[in-house]
Amino acid sequence: MESIRGRLTVWYATALILSIAVFAVVLYVARRSATYQDLDRRIQSEANLIAGILAESYRARGVLVEKDTAGRPVLISEVAAVLEVVPDYLLVTSQDGQLLFGSPDARSLGFVQFEQLTALANTPNGLASASAPRRYQMPNGPTLHYVNRPVPEAGGQIGTILAGADTRSAELQVAQLVTTILIAFLVGIVPAVLVGRWIAGRALEPVDSMITEIREITDGRSLHRRLPVPMEKDELARLAATLNQMWTRLERSFVALRRFTADASHELKTPLTVVRAGVERAITRPDMPPETLAALEETLQEVNRMTELLDSLLTLARADEGRAELHREPVDLREIVEEAGETGELLAEHAGVGMEIRLPPDPVVVSVDRSRLRQLALNLIENAVKYTPRGGQVSVELGNNDGRAVFTVADTGIGIAPGDLPHVFDRFWRADSARTRTSERAGTGLGLAICKWIAEAHGGTIDVQSRPGRGTTFTVGLPHG
Amino acid sequence: MKILVIEDDKTVGEYVRRGLDEAGYHVDLVGDGDEGLKRASGRGGNYDIMVLDLRLPKLSGIEVLRTLRDRGVGLPVLVLTAQDSVDFKVQALRMGADDYVTKPFAFEELLARVEALGRRPKAIAPPTLKVNGLALDTGSREVMRDGKRIELTPKEYAVLEYLMRHQGRVMSRTLITEYAWDYHFDPGTNIVDVVITRLRKKIDHAKEPKLIHTVRGVGYVVRA
Repeated sequence: MESIRGRLTVWYATALILSIAVFAVVLYVARRSATYQDLDRRIQSEANLIAGILAESYRARGVLVEKDTAGRPVLISEVAAVLEVVPDYLLVTSQDGQLLFGSPDARSLGFVQFEQLTALANTPNGLASASAPRRYQMPNGPTLHYVNRPVPEAGGQIGTILAGADTRSAELQVAQLVTTILIAFLVGIVPAVLVGRWIAGRALEPVDSMITEIREITDGRSLHRRLPVPMEKDELARLAATLNQMWTRLERSFVALRRFTADASHELKTPLTVVRAGVERAITRPDMPPETLAALEETLQEVNRMTELLDSLLTLARADEGRAELHREPVDLREIVEEAGETGELLAEHAGVGMEIRLPPDPVVVSVDRSRLRQLALNLIENAVKYTPRGGQVSVELGNNDGRAVFTVADTGIGIAPGDLPHVFDRFWRADSARTRTSERAGTGLGLAICKWIAEAHGGTIDVQSRPGRGTTFTVGLPHG
Repeated sequence: MKILVIEDDKTVGEYVRRGLDEAGYHVDLVGDGDEGLKRASGRGGNYDIMVLDLRLPKLSGIEVLRTLRDRGVGLPVLVLTAQDSVDFKVQALRMGADDYVTKPFAFEELLARVEALGRRPKAIAPPTLKVNGLALDTGSREVMRDGKRIELTPKEYAVLEYLMRHQGRVMSRTLITEYAWDYHFDPGTNIVDVVITRLRKKIDHAKEPKLIHTVRGVGYVVRA
């Protein structure tokens, strides 16, 4: 799940389903046992009621059993007529185990099952009243709960009565309950999950607006801003307060860094200025011996090298801080490439490398920082010439592609090893020094890092493709406008 | 022309003072912002240009600039700064500075900018520079040798102009590069050698006397 909101919804739905399931199980178990208790209570009171009727009839008539036409003993017809309307299974037996009466439900059973029922009725329970309800599963027949009750009040004419009931009706009630729960569950879960999702969304709304504000603050220029801390001291308020503390510390260290870069540039550049001033004065004096001049020229080169390194470091330090600013204006990139190209041609001629510059016929106007773009173009061209052996070729091209200005510098030079490719834009990265022309001074190692920053600060991209021994192509894409 | 230089570093200040002095300016040098502000807005001043270091004791360069502009003093100001960040420069320009030079600077660059602010013809450079039959018109950027026109690329022209302006003096490769490449390009190779080779082909080839001479390990000199 991508968002906390989604996860919350899933958790919520899971918890809901689980609790409903537990509820349903508990309800099912409770309902089932209550139904069986009802059933048991019913057969017990039935047994007692029948026993009462039989005892009453005995007191009124003194006789309960007569012979039927086949000569078997049966209950007298008046009593039998009363018992005929009793539902469920009811058997009345004599003391010697003869069946005196069977209710209609009992009679509707198959022969084998009826015999089993009779056997159950003749199992004495050893009590003077109704036994505890028992459960009996008839082979290939219904399951029933039954009680046995002796009827001593009937003057010995009656042995036992059996009252029993099929459990099917009880099971049916419980099954109906389960169906109802399932339907309610299915109907209820969808809106419940939707509502849960909505609640999660509402609860997380402040987090979303917080994210927007944090993004605005973190862009580097708005570090002085703070998140509003809500009045309620809830988790979000604590989060906001913690973030604010973090920004206070970040801001402090940024201010320190800024002061450091300002101090460093001043403290390092002032002595450089002093050295340079001295060297320049001496080197332009008319009557210096050539050896002294040569030493001064070397010093001057070193001063420039240090200045360049210092400027690059400071530029990157400010870029890290998000504070290196661009002075943008609409510029026809052809001017910049042409100018850098002229310098490139001179460098190429010196290195014995061919140079080709292709410019489009129409202006390529982009809003850029002119001096930064010049630096970018020169750096790439200079690099290309530097890593191309005598006799090679450097091609510089400016064009439009896909609504972007595209500047390409391709060479047929030594190329870059695949393992080094991801690192070419790293600071202080340098190709294996053995492979550059020894006559040349090594660069600062910051050139490509700065190129990358310049391209990206303009909202553009810089890419490199290379094959060792075949050459390297740098491509800079800048968005128009 | 009078120039007020406000710079707390004595060596740098003295270097600027002497250099401008040699270029024919009258220069006063002060070491802090307070004093500089007094001089610039006081009556006896009458300066034509101010060269202002931004980091000064007592009163910072930015404050000097702001106070000056608040008082309605329109004196052109050239700012010296060690900061090369754009926002710092933009801030200085917004405060009323007219131009800036980044430390460490080549004196030629400072001089060029002071001259531009003074809006006067280049006193040290006559419109046409001449060395023994070679003529360079700084206005039209035309170059002739013995009356024949020579076509030069912009960089070739810049290098030649620089050498001719300082004719008879050995100019180091670094100084030439800085001048021809706008002071902020260090190619790290002797690119000037290539330009000189081209210039020799166009100017000295099959001609006598040779005008461009090499000084080994240092640079070049144009002399008759």
